[in-house]
Amino acid sequence: MVAVSHTRRADLAPAPAPAARSARRRARKYLWSYLYLTPMLVLLLAFIVYPIVASLGYTLYQWNGIGDPSTFVGLGNFRQIIHDSIFWRSLGHTFVYAAIVVPVQLVLALALALVLNNRRLRFASFYRTLFFLPVVTSAAVIGVVIQLLVSNFGDSINTILMDLHLTHSHIDWLGDPHFALGIVIAVGIWHTFGYNLVYFLAGLQTIPEELYEAARLDGAGRIAIFRRITIPMLRAVGVVILVLAIIGTFQIFDLVQVLTSGGPYFSTEVVNTYIYHLAFGGTNASAVQPDVGLASAASFFFGLLLIVFSVVQVVVLRTLVRRRAAGRERQGGQS
Amino acid sequence: MTAIAVQQSAGRRNRYRSRRRVVSLATHFALLIGGLAWLYPLFWALGSSLKSDDQFFSSGLNPLPSHFMWSNYLQAWQEASFGRYFLNTLLITLGTVLVTLVVTSMAGYVLARTQFPGKKLCLGLVSATLFLPHGYTIIPIFDLMQRVHLLDSLWSVIIVQASSGVVFGTFLFMGYFMAIDRELEDAAQVDGAGFNQTFWRIMLPLSGPMVATVGLFTAITAWNSFFLPLVFTLGRPELRTLAVGMYAFIGENSTDWTLLCAGTVITLAPIIVLFLFLQRFFVNGLAGAVKQ
Repeated sequence: MVAVSHTRRADLAPAPAPAARSARRRARKYLWSYLYLTPMLVLLLAFIVYPIVASLGYTLYQWNGIGDPSTFVGLGNFRQIIHDSIFWRSLGHTFVYAAIVVPVQLVLALALALVLNNRRLRFASFYRTLFFLPVVTSAAVIGVVIQLLVSNFGDSINTILMDLHLTHSHIDWLGDPHFALGIVIAVGIWHTFGYNLVYFLAGLQTIPEELYEAARLDGAGRIAIFRRITIPMLRAVGVVILVLAIIGTFQIFDLVQVLTSGGPYFSTEVVNTYIYHLAFGGTNASAVQPDVGLASAASFFFGLLLIVFSVVQVVVLRTLVRRRAAGRERQGGQS
Repeated sequence: MTAIAVQQSAGRRNRYRSRRRVVSLATHFALLIGGLAWLYPLFWALGSSLKSDDQFFSSGLNPLPSHFMWSNYLQAWQEASFGRYFLNTLLITLGTVLVTLVVTSMAGYVLARTQFPGKKLCLGLVSATLFLPHGYTIIPIFDLMQRVHLLDSLWSVIIVQASSGVVFGTFLFMGYFMAIDRELEDAAQVDGAGFNQTFWRIMLPLSGPMVATVGLFTAITAWNSFFLPLVFTLGRPELRTLAVGMYAFIGENSTDWTLLCAGTVITLAPIIVLFLFLQRFFVNGLAGAVKQ
């Protein structure tokens, strides 16, 4: 195929074009390039860049979203957010959500990926599909299903718990501030688990089989192989998976909005539902006046916190990796 | 003496083999049971959508209906307007996929293949948007749509939904086109094909797998999208999508549970079927994103 096009090119090569013609041709190519880029750039500028800049402006106003913003409050919105205890609680819930969902998902996903990566295992892709399937379902609809499921078979669970004398009274799983966040977390783990499974499988497949064979010939056991080959070879991919998982969990909105709408009594309020309630009002718990300026300020503050957080994360991971590399060098020098 | 040794080692090998078979069977058993249990909420929704109201409350954990109430689906489709929501969701999904594919394949091709003044600036802008804090940008978008009189239309959802996946798609197409051999384009140009013909007749057809990957990603995201259609259809209930319609249905009349279950099946089934047929494109796309 390649060879054919080579000979054809040799046969049909046109005579070198005059300078003027090549310049015109290049100009036409530029023109087409810009035309091809335009739709993408228009969408990007209109719906991603402009809104970011514009909402920075809103942060300085008190504004209910109708008409033009007029009541200038300066940095008052930021001050109000910083002093709002519900903002800090929702930030705390977001962190708790991430701090539980991410490690549980990663450990379970790695374990399952190790099982499914076995070449001798038949139907591995069928099993992968089973565990991956929740990922393609809508978080909002899953919220509805879980709500129905919990309101219905919650009774069955309650009966079992009461028979075992673990509890005296009926537990209203999504209506009780002590349990609601736990349910949200459990559903969150279930819903996006599949991503991490597929990521780890992809990472495991990049490890060459010869490494395992060589280790086995040297008499290494399974645990030694896992610690000395799998883990170090997965480190680069693992960091990417970790970062993606953390970013994903911080974005949580649909599931909470549909399951609990942040309630009861703000016990499942996460930052994104908090912002939504500021901008559009209408929580179950409070009927606040919508304030777009306040919502924009909250989201910018959250954005800044996330940037600081990810910079710290990158720095910490880098130093850890470097220190490890240095340690290994020292070990290598001694032996 | 040697005969005994051979027999012994054969016995050991057999024992080893049978032990391995037991382990393998146990693994399959655990994976199958675990996998089906993992999907229990989906089975439960499917089963409950066919139950009668009485049975829904009496059967608890059991997902199997005693007799099939197909009328739940008819009711959901007609009375609860899930038929209309279905059509809206389908139009939004098809529109978003089409817009995204055309826009990102063209941009990805140009960024991968041609040198033009301002290319670096353009690439920088595209990558920077990945790191900018995406604040609460729905309000300015809402405002913008109002000014161009697109608010309360399916187009507004399609355009905004497509723009949210534009950077990701462009990068995927760019990577794909960079990996294609230049010889083909050169040959086409020698044969007299212009810029447009080269792209539409040769390069785009060659990128079939990437079209499938980006298309499937976009379709799943658009079909499942909740927040954008929620905000853009606040004023026009007849433009609701399935997810938004279901959310509103809970608020309006929270009594008809089996009908709601039928609604969840109507929403989930199409995207699950689509995924099952095209899953390798989806999974390959995800895997590629991590390995880079």
